[in-house]
Amino acid sequence: MSALAAAVAAAVPGARSSAGFGPVTVDVPRERWVEALGAAHAAGATFFDLLTAYDDGPTGVAVVAHLATPDLRDHLLLRTPVPAGDPALPTATGVYRGAAWHERETHEMFGVDFPGNDRLDPLLLPVGFGAGPLRKDFVLAARAARPWPGEKDPADSGGRVRRRNLPPGVPVDWPEATP
Amino acid sequence: MTVDPVTVDPAAFGPSRTRGVIALVEESCTVCMLCARECPDWCIEIDSHTVTLPPDDTHRRPRTDAVLDRFAIDFGLCMYCGICVEVCPFDALHWSPVAEYAATSSDGLIHERGRLVSWEATVPPRSPLDPRAVIDDPGPRRPGVRS
Repeated sequence: MSALAAAVAAAVPGARSSAGFGPVTVDVPRERWVEALGAAHAAGATFFDLLTAYDDGPTGVAVVAHLATPDLRDHLLLRTPVPAGDPALPTATGVYRGAAWHERETHEMFGVDFPGNDRLDPLLLPVGFGAGPLRKDFVLAARAARPWPGEKDPADSGGRVRRRNLPPGVPVDWPEATP
Repeated sequence: MTVDPVTVDPAAFGPSRTRGVIALVEESCTVCMLCARECPDWCIEIDSHTVTLPPDDTHRRPRTDAVLDRFAIDFGLCMYCGICVEVCPFDALHWSPVAEYAATSSDGLIHERGRLVSWEATVPPRSPLDPRAVIDDPGPRRPGVRS
């Protein structure tokens, strides 16, 4: 097991580490996120690679940070759940200043708020866009507004419609079914 | 900067399997709509109508035939996955290596039927079959299979 991951797991109460195919992942409670980042930094992981999030189903999103030692001999993933009802996580910029840009991006794409980081301006989307486009409950407006080209059928040209063709991967009653 | 599909040398655009632009062989298209339905980007638009053909010497009953009215690919949306080329049951779509068709507006990236057909001249010849894949004698026909 990674020495970094062992050090963080020992320093942070409630931390749980698991090895997958990639680097060792250390899951920490949300309230100990900054503490865990500090423990990783103190253990030698001073190289901040990235911070991002992924949609973790109806429970919310998970925020992940990839940290490494400067010689790149050891690295770990630090992960914490962020519930959908209260999508906020203390900022990592107190430990890694370079996390500011990544938090900005995560805020824009997943709607996670980072209290303490007051520069969460959108990078690509217009101001006030609101929803996080990379969350799975985000409705793709282009799919709802535009008729599907594959719906047409040569047999319909006579005025009769034999069956409705539906685009693959888009729910039948969509977008009415989603808020 | 555009190229003339008739005089361009496709070899100047890299390997023959380069995904540059998609060419349409309109004689082969049966308007089955498979490409438009499989396209993940919804970038293929097809319009068609059906005509009823009267009986003739080889067909004893009147039959309907689909006629292609419009075939357009929006290369501003296309992600060059090649699913339409793969899925076409009649080989009406082919990759051409030609990649110089930049436009000054997004509308200019919508290639209508005539332009898609013009790319056909730049499609490289199909590579020959591996000699071991050629079957000289198909052997006895399997029972129950109609030729």
